[in-house]
Parts: sequence; structure tokens; C-alpha cells
Amino acid sequence: MNQAEQVIRQKFQQYYLDPKRQLDPPLNPSEREYGFLLFSGKFMVRHRSFKDPLSLLTAVRDLVPSHVYFSTAYYREPTAPMEEKGWTGADLVFDIDADHLNTPCKPDHDSWKCKACGTTGNGGAPKLCPKCKNDRLEEQTWLCDRCLQEAKEETAKLLEMLYTDLGIDNEATRLFFSGHRGYHVHVYSKQTSQLGEEERREIADYLLAQGLDPQLHELEETSVGGTKLAEGPLIGQPGWRGRIVAGIYDILGSEMDQIGLTSTQVHALKSWDREDLLRKPFWNSAKGVGISTWKTLVTKAVEKKSAKIDTVVTTDIHRLIRMSGTLNGHTGLLAMKVPEERLDEFDPFTEPLAFQGQMKVKVKESPGFRLGEERFGPYHDETVQLPSTAAMLLLCKHRAEPIA
Amino acid sequence: MLTRADLAKYPFLNEASDYIKELGISIDDIASPDFSPVLERAEKRLEEALSKGRVSNEFGNENAEILSFPVSNLILSLTGEERAQRRFALAEAKRAYELLRQESPEKLDYIARTTFGWKLNKIDAQPGKRFYDFGISLADYLRNSVHLKDPKWKLPNRILDHGLVYATREELARLLEEEVRTKIVDRSSRLSGEIPKPLLPKVERTRGLITKWLGVPSHYELPKVPSPEAMPPCVRHLIDNLAEGKNVQHMGRFTLASFLVNIGAGEEDIVKAFKPASDFSERMTRYQVEHIAGKRGGRTKYTCPMCTTLKTHGVCYKPDDICSTIRNPLSYYKSKARILTGKGPKREPS
Ligand code: SF4
Ligand SMILES: [Zn+2]
Ligand SMILES: [Zn+2]
Repeated sequence: MNQAEQVIRQKFQQYYLDPKRQLDPPLNPSEREYGFLLFSGKFMVRHRSFKDPLSLLTAVRDLVPSHVYFSTAYYREPTAPMEEKGWTGADLVFDIDADHLNTPCKPDHDSWKCKACGTTGNGGAPKLCPKCKNDRLEEQTWLCDRCLQEAKEETAKLLEMLYTDLGIDNEATRLFFSGHRGYHVHVYSKQTSQLGEEERREIADYLLAQGLDPQLHELEETSVGGTKLAEGPLIGQPGWRGRIVAGIYDILGSEMDQIGLTSTQVHALKSWDREDLLRKPFWNSAKGVGISTWKTLVTKAVEKKSAKIDTVVTTDIHRLIRMSGTLNGHTGLLAMKVPEERLDEFDPFTEPLAFQGQMKVKVKESPGFRLGEERFGPYHDETVQLPSTAAMLLLCKHRAEPIA
Repeated sequence: MLTRADLAKYPFLNEASDYIKELGISIDDIASPDFSPVLERAEKRLEEALSKGRVSNEFGNENAEILSFPVSNLILSLTGEERAQRRFALAEAKRAYELLRQESPEKLDYIARTTFGWKLNKIDAQPGKRFYDFGISLADYLRNSVHLKDPKWKLPNRILDHGLVYATREELARLLEEEVRTKIVDRSSRLSGEIPKPLLPKVERTRGLITKWLGVPSHYELPKVPSPEAMPPCVRHLIDNLAEGKNVQHMGRFTLASFLVNIGAGEEDIVKAFKPASDFSERMTRYQVEHIAGKRGGRTKYTCPMCTTLKTHGVCYKPDDICSTIRNPLSYYKSKARILTGKGPKREPS
């Protein structure tokens, strides 16, 4: 353990030892496997199980992990080796993380480095190093208002589709802030718990509109007496059909110039009332706009309306996922439950703050950030006295070193 | 709701099993001359399924039609030949589909609910050009649609409304076909044990048919000489990583070793594959390979882990088209080798 880790661990320990402390264990706690990532040697303690919330809390106080996880799966024998656990089902989970979003601010606060050849760059890491084609890239990320706001919007879209399309009861869902750059949604229901990986992949594809073919939603061109007519779905139709139209409506209202249409086409589309969209032969209401233009627009509409979830998390039926009520070792922020109706007003830079007091740290390099009402930084090679929450964020993000 | 004629059409239904129970027939009756139409029909079912992948209908003798189905299933299970069981299930399911698609919505609804436990609504909705009779619960839809390759079955291309997937009558019948196929496969894999005397010649004859139509059992069909071009992406990736001296986790090592053992690579070659690893120990590697090959310890030869396991452990790497048709890297190897040697893949006829 290096010095920073020792300080972080100490703070975490104080936090967990608070006599009023309670964790927020998952449903059916005794059928799950728990995992703790320890500070010492980045070692994962897995295959643990607990009868009740108190013994779980005791273990967390004992081990003081940097991250606390539980399995989305239910097992007959949670402590057995993987092959013998006896899978009986798994929550359906969704992860929305700024890592998977294309926010314009990323070059300002994220950077990467190739472990093999040392090439560096700003923004999110590419899949392969552009120079040596290696896939061992190290990322340095930051949490920013904008990224988290976008993650929130993706989450809202996700919830809307879960309720209206998938018909999931909102009693059966729980929403969490991850304590870092995103949100998790868990679905607890008999029907979804039995879904296998391939079935979950279909659900992920649905939410991402992956493989959606507009023709299969009846967008097509017919020829009536020599005139070509476009036909397609209508607003108010269920599922992706109505959503496609709503998406087009949004695009026409705002970013029409940026969607790769010719200027005549943009002109044709702009020349009519958006409200026409809601009227019947909608797909023919603009002259000169043919089927290929509509297809382009549908692609954009779908891109706008889909929820950018991480497919890997949703399809993995043996996944360990972060437990709410515990500290996220990447930030020192609390992973916590967010009531769905409060998603809009939830402030990830205020509510999950977990530490009191002040700390002195030496900051190497940090973008500016906000916690609560206060703004901090940017910092560059300086020693500063900060509220513990801010200092811990910098320490956890490897942006600062503690000062004894 | 169902008549005896329906049971003859759909002998896999719960009602058909109940009907047979009520007749009170035991295995010994099979030898009696009264039973010969049943046995004849059972053998015909098998022969047609194995040779053509189709089973025809013979509704003249309803009882024989109903009874012959479980008898064919039993004979087939007793051969212990999974490939043949799958082929039979597919053929019977196709036969059922052709009949189901002509049924009334009410009958389809009844069958889906009672035999297969589906939740579905009669919706009679026409949101665009097509008329949809049914809304099928998402879980029931997905369990069956994931086996279907046509893009129209992909969930993003469906209408999904409050947990119901819209489906036409024809589509419902097609999804039921999948359900029928799975049910028959499950059922035959549960039957096994001693072969009753009267069935012995039938089982032997069926084994002959299987070899005739499907060739020698597939477990022994691996190519004689290990062929690197036929290896799946995950295995190639593991070999490349080791060759570059990268660290490969336990699951990766186990996969590679068990894969190579099973395709018949020599111990020397396997050890060589591990040599560039940064923490290579020749003695340990040899020991492990011998263990996996069943020469040590429990003496059971280990098979290669399933793709789902490999996905969980991050060993799966850039799965390709062939990957989507198989469930174990060894089957990948088998299919690819067949393609490479020009024998062509032996697929179920569609
Ligand atoms: S799908 Fe199976 S065979 Fe294909 S790469 Fe993944 S693990 Fe290997
Ligand atoms: Zn590089
Ligand atoms: Zn940002």
C-alpha cells in the first residue's frame, strides 16, 4: 500500500466505523456472492456470503475494502467455486457510464497513455493504440458536470423504455448513482431473473436500437400511378415506431443542419411546419424528401432516442456489481440509491459526499471541479488545504499525494 | 377444447400424455400384435426424420399416431445419440408448425398457455399495415426468438408495448415450433436406462439408420492432424498472447491446454505453446497438461470449457460468424475444419 492508499483506507475505515452506519444490502442478501477489492495488493476477496446486513457490515469494517460488490446472480451455494454455485437467476441490470458516452468535454478532462509505446492523447482512450496497435491503454478520467448530466439523460431514457416498452413495474426497479461517472438500474422480477445471456443481449440491443431496420418498422417507398410515396410509422404507435417519429421531430426542431443532408433537402424540410409531423401522411408532407433522406433521419432519430447502456454488464449473468451505501474507491464518493422521481434534481456532486473535516494534499494536476456549492481548482503542482471530500477525490483519482 | 384428432396432430401436448396414461399401456404391450401399427408408425417417424428431416402426417389411425410419438422418442433416447435426437425434434417441430399455422387464434392461444405455460394476450391490433392477433410476454418471446436468425425476429425490429411483443398468428406458430423442438429434446434427454427386450431390435435398427444418414458419431469426427487454421479466435488469441510473452490468466491457460489436448496435439507441441510465457516452468506445464489429458490424478480427460463460461471469464475474443453457430471452441474447430477440408458443414436442413 502506498501512502495515498493508506490515507484513503484510514478515511474509509473511519467512515464505516461510525456507529450509525448502515449499508444498503441488496434484495435476497443471503443468496448472493459478495466481493471486496482490498487496498493491499489490489486483491479481490470473492465467494463470500452473509446471512444478514449486520454480518456484512462487520466484514466491511474488518476488511475496509476500496470497493464493495455483490453478485447480480442468485446462487444455491454462493460460497462454492464458480462452477458449483448453482445459478438460480439474476437481476436484470443496466449500467450507464460516461466511459461509454461521447461527450464533447472529454478531451478537456480525460487522457490516455499506451502502456506499450508510451503514446498519449486527450479524450477517451481508443480501442487500440493508433501507433503500435496495442490494446493495453491506460486511461485517466475525471468526473464533470456535463458528463454526469448526459449520463442522467441516458438513464431517464432507459427508465422510460423499461416502463413503457418492456412493461417493467416501477416497483421492481431501483436506481443508483455509482459513486463515479454513472448510474445503475436494477430490475428485480421473476420473469426477468430467469433470462439467459442471449435473451439479455436482445434486450440490450433493443434499448440501443442495435440492428434496428426501419423497413421492418414499415418505412418504405410505394409507387402510386408512377409517383413515389414514402410511408412509415406514426407518432403514438407503440415501441420504436412512435419513438422514431418523436426523434425525427426533435431533430427537425434543432440540429437539422448538422445531419449531413444537402442544402435543398434541409430547405425542403425547414419549409414546413413541424406540427405537420403529427398529421397523417407525414412521410410525404415535404416535397423532394425521398426515402433515402428519411432513412438518414431515422438513423439520427434512433441514435438520439436510444439509451447508451453498457451491453457487457447487462448480458453477464454472473456479474459483480457495486453495492449502494458503500464508498467508491475511485472517488471517495458514496454509491447510493436515488429515488426515480428524484433523478432530475439529484446532484451527484452534493448528495454522495461522505467525509468531514479538512486535509492538506499536494496536487500534481487537476481540472477544475465542483463539490456542493464550492468550486475547486484547476490545480497544478501545488499544496492546498481542502475539505476532506475534495482532497479524497483528488487522492482517489491519483491526482494528489497526501501530506503528513 | 382439444379433440382426439388434435392430439394426433400434436402428440407432444400435455393432453396427449394424459390420454396415453388413461389408456393404461405398459412397455410389455409393445410386443403384442395389436401394437404393430404403432411400432410401424414409430419407425417410420424416425426413418423420415433421419433421412429427410421431415415427418409426414398419417391421421388415418389416430391412436397409432398419438402413441407412436413417445415410442419413437423412447427408441431414439435409448440409442443415446444426441445428434439424432436433435434432428428428430426439429423434424417433428416442423411438422407441427405446418399444422399450427392453420389453427384458429383460440386454439393457438390454448396450446401456448396450457402446454408451454406462456403468458399472452389476444390484442387484435393493427398499428400499421399488418394485423397482430397476439401480444406475447417478453420472456416467452425471447426464449424462442433468440434461436431464429432472420432480422425480423430481433427485438429492436419488433413492436414491444408494455412487456408484450406483437405477433401475427403465423409468427406465433413459428415461435411455438421452437418451443416444441426444445420440449422434445428435453424429453428425450431425460429418458434412458435399460433397453426393454421388445425394443432391442428397433434400437439396433435405428442405430443403423443414424449411421446411414448422419455418419459416424460426431465426437470422433475431429480432424486427424491438428490444423491451426481451424482454431477459434479465442484460442488463436491465447496462442498469440503467449507467443508475445504476455501474461495469460489461469482460465485462459486451462482453455488452451484442454483445447489442444482434445484436438489431439502432442504433449511436446502443447508445452512449446506455453514456453514463451514470462512465468513458464516446463515441469509445471508438463504436469498440468498430463493432468488435463487424464494421464494423472483423476484420470478423467478434461474437455474444453463452454463459450458462455469463456465469455464470463473474458477469454472469448472477437467471436466470428462460426462462433454464433457453436457453443464450445471444440465444435468451432470441428465445423471450421470441415469447411476447410471442403467437406462442407453438415447443417440441419432448414
Ligand atoms: S464464441 Fe466460443 S469459440 Fe468463439 S471466440 Fe468466443 S469462446 Fe472462442
Ligand atoms: Zn502504443
Ligand atoms: Zn465531461
